[in-house]
Amino acid sequence: MTDNIYLPSMATVKEVRPETPDTSTFVVTFDDPTLRESFTYRPGQFAEMSMFGVGECPIGIASSPTSKGFLEFCVRAVGTVTNAIHDLEVGDKVGVRGPLGNSWPTKEIEGRDLLFVGGGIGLPPLRSLIRYVLDNRDRYGAVEIVYGARSPQDLVYKDELKEWDERPDVEFYVTVDVGDETWDGPVGFVPPFLKEINPSPENKVAFTCGPPIMIKLVVNALEEMGYADADIVTTLEMKMKCGVGKCGRCNIGDKYICRDGPVFSFEQLRKIPGALEV
Amino acid sequence: MQDELREIVRKLLADGAIEYFIGYCQGSEPHRVFPCFVTEESEVEKLVLGPLCLQNLSKYVLQARDLGGKVGVLVKGCDTRAVVELIKQHQLERDKVVVVGVPCQGQVDPRKLEQALGVPLERVTGVEDAGDEFTVTVDGKARKVGKEQVLRDKCFFCKHPMSFEYDYTLGDVVPFIIDAEKSEYAAVEALEELPVEERRAFWRKQFERCIRCNACREACYGCYCTECLFDRKVPRWLDRPPLPEENEIYHLIRAVHLAGRCIDCGECERVCPVRIPLSRLYKKVQKDIAELFGYEAGMELDTVPPLVNFDLDDQDPFM
Amino acid sequence: MDRKKISKTDLSRWLDRIAETCDLIGPVKEEEVVQFRPVRSSAELTLDYANSLLPPKSLFFPPVEELFSYQKRGEEIKLEQTKPLEKDRVVVGIRKCDVESLSLLDRVFLEDLEDVSYKDRRDRTALIALACPTPPRSSCFCTSFGIDPLSPEGSDILLTDVGKDYLVDVATEKGRELVALADDLFTKLTDKKAKELQPPPVDMPELDLSELREKLEGLWEDDYWEKLSLPCLGCGICTYVCPTCHCFDIADVGSTSDGVRYRCWDSCMYKDFALMTSGVNPRPTKRERVRNRYFHKFSTFPSRYGTNYACVGCARCLVHCPGGVEITTVMEDILAKEGASDG
Repeated sequence: MTDNIYLPSMATVKEVRPETPDTSTFVVTFDDPTLRESFTYRPGQFAEMSMFGVGECPIGIASSPTSKGFLEFCVRAVGTVTNAIHDLEVGDKVGVRGPLGNSWPTKEIEGRDLLFVGGGIGLPPLRSLIRYVLDNRDRYGAVEIVYGARSPQDLVYKDELKEWDERPDVEFYVTVDVGDETWDGPVGFVPPFLKEINPSPENKVAFTCGPPIMIKLVVNALEEMGYADADIVTTLEMKMKCGVGKCGRCNIGDKYICRDGPVFSFEQLRKIPGALEV
Repeated sequence: MQDELREIVRKLLADGAIEYFIGYCQGSEPHRVFPCFVTEESEVEKLVLGPLCLQNLSKYVLQARDLGGKVGVLVKGCDTRAVVELIKQHQLERDKVVVVGVPCQGQVDPRKLEQALGVPLERVTGVEDAGDEFTVTVDGKARKVGKEQVLRDKCFFCKHPMSFEYDYTLGDVVPFIIDAEKSEYAAVEALEELPVEERRAFWRKQFERCIRCNACREACYGCYCTECLFDRKVPRWLDRPPLPEENEIYHLIRAVHLAGRCIDCGECERVCPVRIPLSRLYKKVQKDIAELFGYEAGMELDTVPPLVNFDLDDQDPFM
Repeated sequence: MDRKKISKTDLSRWLDRIAETCDLIGPVKEEEVVQFRPVRSSAELTLDYANSLLPPKSLFFPPVEELFSYQKRGEEIKLEQTKPLEKDRVVVGIRKCDVESLSLLDRVFLEDLEDVSYKDRRDRTALIALACPTPPRSSCFCTSFGIDPLSPEGSDILLTDVGKDYLVDVATEKGRELVALADDLFTKLTDKKAKELQPPPVDMPELDLSELREKLEGLWEDDYWEKLSLPCLGCGICTYVCPTCHCFDIADVGSTSDGVRYRCWDSCMYKDFALMTSGVNPRPTKRERVRNRYFHKFSTFPSRYGTNYACVGCARCLVHCPGGVEITTVMEDILAKEGASDG
C-alpha cells in the first residue's frame, strides 16, 4: 500500500477469463516493478478496485499469495463499478488499493482437516485459501470441497473444479440447483447436499461462503452435524467505501468488516448484536 | 382548545379508531415544541397547542401507510394543504387518515423572537396567542410582543387560518388579519428586478454554504419518491460531493420538481442548518405557477395539478 | 502552568500578528449564523458567541476534500495527490467540547492506518480555545462527559474572558511559540493573581452516565427504538452538525479520463448508506438506523477505541433536529430502564 491509504496503485489487466454469463476473472499485475515483486497479502484479504471516473469496489483476492507477480479478481457485473470492470480489456489500466482486511486463519488450522462449502460467486474468496492449502499440502489434513451453483453455467472456475475432482488428496463434491442436458452430476441445493455427504466434525474446520440464505442453512446443517461455532468460519459482505475502517459504513457492532473482517468465525459473530441479521 | 384536542384523541384511541395520533408536545425545554406520536391514552396529556407548533406534521402520515389501521394527525390551516395534495397525488387515501384541524392565529419565528427580546430563547418559558400580540414569558415575567415583529414570514400572507379538510375541528375560527405591508412575492420580485448575472451570483453564494445534508428534501411533504433522482447511481445525475456547481443543480432541480406542488409550508428553510433562504426560491416557482395556470397547490381537493394536466388554452410563453 | 493575561485590545493586535505568519481561522458572524472561517484580520472575528453552527471538525475533516486527481494520457493514467494545506494554521475561539471532539476523531483517523490529510491538518494547526461564558447555554451538557469547559487540556492555549482582559493559559510548546510572536502584549501572572481572576467552575446540570453503556447494550431488541424513530425524518442533520461524527463517502467527479476523487461527508441516517448493490440493506428502516446511531455514540465507539462516550455535550444535534429527537432525553430514557442486572 502507498503512504496515502486512499491512493490506489496502478495495475494492468493481463488476462480476462469469462467464468459464467455475468462473472469473469481478471488477472492484473502492478505497473511498478518493485511493487510487483514486493506486494504480499494473505488468503482472504481483499482489495478496492478503482475504475477512475466511476468509483471503487471491494473484491476478494481470489489468487493465493503462493503464486507470485499477479493478482486474480473474480468479478460479477451487478453495479456501476463492476459493469465498468467488465468493459476492461487486456492492456487496460485499473487501480488497486490493498491488501485490505483480515485473512483466513492459515496458521491456526495447520494439521487439521478442512471442509470448504461454497455457493455460486462465494467460491472465489474460498479459492484463495484452497489454493494456498493445496500449495502447502503437507501442512494440512484432509481437504473436502462442497460446491454448488444455480446451474452448470453458473459454476465458476470450471477447469479448476475438474482439477480438484481428479486430485487424489481432495474429496470434491459439486451440485447444481437445476441441471441441463450437459449435466449428469448431482442436482439439489447445497445445504441438503451437504447433509447427505455428512462430513464428520472430528478435528475439522469448516469454511463457508455464498449467498446469505445459503450460509444460514449451511451453518444450521453444520451445527446439527456437531460442528462448534468456533470451527465454522465465513467471510462477510457489506457495503464498503474506504476499506480502511474510517468511513463508518461497514460496521456490525463495534467491528468494521473491512478491518476486523471480512473473515469471522461464528463464535465471534454470535457475540455481536445484529451480526447474524445481516 | 388543548383540552378539547386531548378529549378527541383520547376517544379516538379508546375506540381503536386510530393506531396513533401525530400531534405536538413539549421538548426538554419550554421553547422547544416537537412532533409527538401518541399511541396510548396515558400519553395524551403530552399533547400541546400554541404558536410554537411549527412543524408540518403531514409528512409523517406517509410512514403510516403500511399500517393496518388509520392514523390521526393535527393540522393547522397551512398544513392542510399538504394533506390535500397528498390525496390528489395519490399518495394517501382520505379514509386512512383522521384529520383534526386547529385554527391558528399565527406562528412565532423563534429567531425573530430571540432578536426582538434580546435574550437567548432558553429563557423563554411560554408563548401564547393574545390577538394582535403574543404574550411571551421570559424569566418568569410576561411580556407583550407585537405579532408583526415575530411572526413567521409565511404567516403574514396566511390564506387559511383554519383547516379546510378535516374530520374534527377545534374551536371557532377567528379571522386572522395582519397587514403585511407588501406582496407575498416581494422578495421574489426584488430578485427578479436584478440582471441575470446578479441573480445567479446571489444564489451561487447561498449554495456555496450547502453541505447537501438533504434535510430540505426529507422535511418536504412533496419529496416522497422511494428512490430520489439524486440518489440514483444509474444514470448518475448528480455527484455526491457538495461542490457549488452540484449544489446549484440539486436545488434548482428540486424546486422545479416541486412546481405545482409546493404549498409554501416553509419547512425546507426552517430546517436548513446553514440557513439558505430556500423559500425565496420556492416562492418564485409558486409565483410562476400562479401566473401561468392560476393554480395554488393544496387549496382544493377536486382540482387537477396543472403539470399533470393540459388545457387547450394553456399559456405557452416560451413558444 | 504558564498563566498570563492580555487586554482585549491587545488580543486583537496579537491575533493580527499571528495572521501575518499563517492562516488565522476563527468564528465569523454571517447573517446571524457563526461559522469558523479564515480571516485576514482579527476585526472580522466575533468572540462573543455561543457556538458555531457547523463544528470545527470541518477544518480537519472537511465536508468535501480532494483526495487526488486522475488524468488519462494515452494508455497510462496519472494520479496526483492533493496537498491538504498550503500554510500552517491557528484556530482561535474553539470551545472545549469541540477540542475534545478532535481527540475522539484522532482515534479514528490517526490510529491503525493513518489518514495523511487529517494528520497534516492536525499537526499544522494550533488551537487557541475560548472558555465558555457563565452561565452556559441551557442545552449544553459537556460536564456529563467529564469535560471541563475551563480547562486548557487538548488545546495549545486557553483564553478565559475575565472582564477587561483575557486570562491566558499556555499549555504547549506550540502555544509558547505563538505567545512569543507578541510577548510584549502579555502580562505574566503570579499563581495568586491568576487564582483571583479565575472564574468559578461552570455549573450545569449533570447526568450520571456511568451505567449508560451497560444499560444501552441490554436494549438492542427493545421496542424503544421503534418509537424513537417515528419523528426522525432521516434528514441527516444530526450527523452533519455533530463534532464527533466521521462517516464519509468517496466519489469520483469527472469523466473516465479526467477528474478528481473526492471524500465528502455522509450520514448513517440515510436509507441507502449501507445498502448493497445486491439490494440487501443491513439497516433497512429508521428503527435500525436510529438505534445504530446511539449505539455508536454510547457503546461501539467507546468499545472499539477504549474511550469515554463519543459525545461531547455540545447539543448541536438537539438544537437542530427538526423532529425533536433529543439526545439528552434518550440518555435519560436509557438510564431509567431496568438494567440487565436488575432483571
